Amino acid sequence: MSFLPTLRCWWRAVAKRSRIDREVAEEFQFHLDAYADDLVSQGMTPAEAQRKARIDLGPMDTPSEKYREAIGLRVFDELGADIRYGLRSLFKNPGYTIVAVLSLALGIGATTAMFSLIYAVLIHPFPYADSDRIMNPGILTIEGRPQRWFATFKSQFEALEKAKSIESLLGFRNGNAELTGGGLPEDVDVMYLTENADTFLGVPALLGRGIQPSDAKDGGQHVVVLNYRFWQRHFQGDRAVIGRTLQINDENYAIIGVMPRSFAFNDTIGVSDVYLPISLQHDSINPPIRASYIPWIKVKANVSLAAADAELDAIVHQFAKENPEHFTKKFRLQLEPIIVPYQQNTGHTLTLLLASVLLLLAIGCANCSILLLARGEARQHEFAVRSAIGASRWRIIRQLLVEALVTSFSGAVLGLAVSRWLAMLPMQLSPSSFPPESVIRINIPILAFSIGLAFLCGIVFGLFPALRLSRPDLARTMQGSLRRIAPGAGKRKLNLLIAGQIALTLLLLTTAGAVIGDFLGLMKVSLGYDPQNVMQAGIMMHWNNPKDWRSIQPREGRIAYIEQIRQKIAAVPGITSVAVATESTPPYSGIASGVEIARGARNAEQEARVHFVSPEFFATLHIHLLQGRIWTPDENIRGDFVAIVNESLARQYWAHQDPIAQQLRLPTLKASGPVMIGSTASDGWRQVLGVIADVRNDGVGNPAVPEVYVPYTTYMYPFAQFEIRTEGESLAYLHAVRAAVQSVAPDQQVSNGAYDLEEALRSDAQWSRQRLFSVLFGFLSTLALMLSLAGLFSVVSYSVVQKTAEFGIRMALGASRSHILWVAASVAARSVLVGIAAGLAIDLLIQRLLARWMNNADFSSNSLTLATLLLVACSVVACLFPARRAASIHPVEALRYE
Amino acid sequence: MGKRIDLPQGALEILILKAVSLGPLHGYGILLRIQQISGERLEILQGSFYTAIYRLERNGWIEGEWGESENNRRAKFYRLTVSGKRQLKEETMKWSDMANVVAGILQAKAEEL
Repeated sequence: MSFLPTLRCWWRAVAKRSRIDREVAEEFQFHLDAYADDLVSQGMTPAEAQRKARIDLGPMDTPSEKYREAIGLRVFDELGADIRYGLRSLFKNPGYTIVAVLSLALGIGATTAMFSLIYAVLIHPFPYADSDRIMNPGILTIEGRPQRWFATFKSQFEALEKAKSIESLLGFRNGNAELTGGGLPEDVDVMYLTENADTFLGVPALLGRGIQPSDAKDGGQHVVVLNYRFWQRHFQGDRAVIGRTLQINDENYAIIGVMPRSFAFNDTIGVSDVYLPISLQHDSINPPIRASYIPWIKVKANVSLAAADAELDAIVHQFAKENPEHFTKKFRLQLEPIIVPYQQNTGHTLTLLLASVLLLLAIGCANCSILLLARGEARQHEFAVRSAIGASRWRIIRQLLVEALVTSFSGAVLGLAVSRWLAMLPMQLSPSSFPPESVIRINIPILAFSIGLAFLCGIVFGLFPALRLSRPDLARTMQGSLRRIAPGAGKRKLNLLIAGQIALTLLLLTTAGAVIGDFLGLMKVSLGYDPQNVMQAGIMMHWNNPKDWRSIQPREGRIAYIEQIRQKIAAVPGITSVAVATESTPPYSGIASGVEIARGARNAEQEARVHFVSPEFFATLHIHLLQGRIWTPDENIRGDFVAIVNESLARQYWAHQDPIAQQLRLPTLKASGPVMIGSTASDGWRQVLGVIADVRNDGVGNPAVPEVYVPYTTYMYPFAQFEIRTEGESLAYLHAVRAAVQSVAPDQQVSNGAYDLEEALRSDAQWSRQRLFSVLFGFLSTLALMLSLAGLFSVVSYSVVQKTAEFGIRMALGASRSHILWVAASVAARSVLVGIAAGLAIDLLIQRLLARWMNNADFSSNSLTLATLLLVACSVVACLFPARRAASIHPVEALRYE
Repeated sequence: MGKRIDLPQGALEILILKAVSLGPLHGYGILLRIQQISGERLEILQGSFYTAIYRLERNGWIEGEWGESENNRRAKFYRLTVSGKRQLKEETMKWSDMANVVAGILQAKAEEL
């Protein structure tokens, strides 16, 4: 068979069908006539000749069919007929169609949604070139506890660049700046990038270009690349923005490019508004920051991570030798692919969700199988007739499979339509669990996935009934009436399917119960502070403006400045109290630091979270003082010699002693550099004045870690943060707070990102992940329950219709209504019981696995009992409802029923 | 007229190709020519005859074109294409090879082995 001519021939046969048919018929007619003429010339009568010619040539009405068979199109014609027949029978049974298509649409839609989410988040989240080879270098403790990243000096960065295992190196540093030149100054997040950014990240700019090596010339060109969102916000997406200037900190920058929407560099330390060449940093900042390069490493393709770790570890240890103050004594370096934090946070979540949507899909498929089988019982007669007039078994199987595929593809189309929306749902419910770069869109792999899924579903749920129904018992079925009394042979398969469905549903229900219980527990957790009506707002001091800086650089000036602002804010009507707190807002608060305990028994490195706060902090957040007192305003200004600890720290170090008046010191608290300023004895010994109750400081779901509170004047940054408690909605006071700040210093901005503590809690990653789990599992298990009940309902209904005559006989012989009810419902009752037993068994088996995956989800017997009871109750209703119909039929009618 | 014989599988196709190679013919003409050349010894089932023609046309070995028959009626005339010519040559060689081999085996006598 030659390929190209065949295709051409098929194309003609399909595209010009009527012409080809006509020609084939004409050719046939010509042959017939010529043959008949010859026969006449051989001496036959014309009538005889016509008859013989017809007999020799075969039936007159099928030449075009013969033609299509000869060229090999017959199979397609038959398939087409099967599809048309399938569609027709779908339209003829709307009840069946709706239930079957919806079952599959839900299953396929949910599975496709989950797959596209996994694709977007785990398989392909970053738009960067070779993103699987981009690494975060992390500094770990010797035991492997992750500590932090590190920033390098320019010289160190250049030394790192020479490492053999590194293909290329990106350096970046974020900062704050102000947009000037417009009406009101506006805060922007700035990201300085090494000038190889364009090639390293490999994301083409949406408009113009990215940052390129030529931008490093002459100590950095004054050019700026805009983030998509900033471009939308600030320039309303104006495409003519390239070439215009943007004034940042009173200097003009030429806009050279806009990045595409998917470019959200760098989400780990905050997505920036504008990107600048890093060479500029040394000019625009005074005094300069030395450690200004946070590295991202692209390792060479053929280098193993372990080899790269080993090489870089040696280099970084050399850095530590040269600058010991920046590193802990013992550490090791480990490269971490940039995807890892998300995999850890989200990977298990998504796998679990995928598993549960697959369960839902399985339930949906089982539902379709059940419907097909049940309906097939009623179609026995049709198949028997087909088979009696010569249809092969394969032909019937094929027809049933095509019908199943028609259903599953209808379901897939509907499912695909809803899947986009379903996929967005988790991202909206828990935005902080996903990389901001991941964009969900229907693409080729996802489309292929759902089509494959539809095909698989069609085969899976269609084959089971097809195999069973394609072997009709001819003699019995054709005789007709017997089937209505004798039990169908397909019952065992039906029971198996129902039991399986019930088992899977129970599994989903118990999981949902556990997850929801866990979430409710989290909501009830005692935080140790009161987030309601508290706002956090910050100010960034103008440390790069020598005029402003002169007065607030010295310690006394800075304290006075901060205190003055604090008092002005506190004076706003409706604001009840204001405290200064640096990086101290729960539920993730404090700066990890070493702590030394006087007469401390332990040698191991002891760690605590340090908080720099003003004395009003505890009252503002409603934190309970358990023992002792809080430092006075005078002690606050002095900064030294005092500390307050939390209950955990007191318990850990002075379990059997009175913590008050114990001594401790924080050896790392030594302000260095021109922008930081500390008190004289900031790293000296401090006396514990009081003990406060634990506040969740390591995430909502985790127990508090030891903390030390010291006056904020001990160690001052060039910024300050305020906790502001208000009457009513806290953010409503933001305008008044701004005005209060400006009454102290007219050009002092309140930084972007002031937020309400309660809202922050709601968008917290852990909290929102738990909520995501609860909502999705609740949703999925409800769907599963509904699908299973629909399956049960239809099985009982079908069997009631089938057995009407049997019921008539039973009633005529004196069976009571309750007996009939029981007979009708018992079709499914046993399967339900078996299913529940199987579900419980599976549940017990995988409980431990699930508990580990869902971070201590609470699999108490409560949720198990509850889920089982719910399922039993719903099943009873689903069985009894159609069974009631059986019991209410009049016996005479039932006997007459056909 | 000798004894009538049935055609083995695939033989009809090659006969059609051969018939058409001598000049364009319509379907009925092909049938007549094959019967004529064979000395009326071949029984060709007219029903399956067109199946073979269509298959050859699908493979691009023969090409149909509408023309006028000897009694002035529209008829489809088939002629051999270039690839059909090649096919005919190949098939002819295969057939004669096979015929030789089979004939050789059938004529073998016990003493020659």
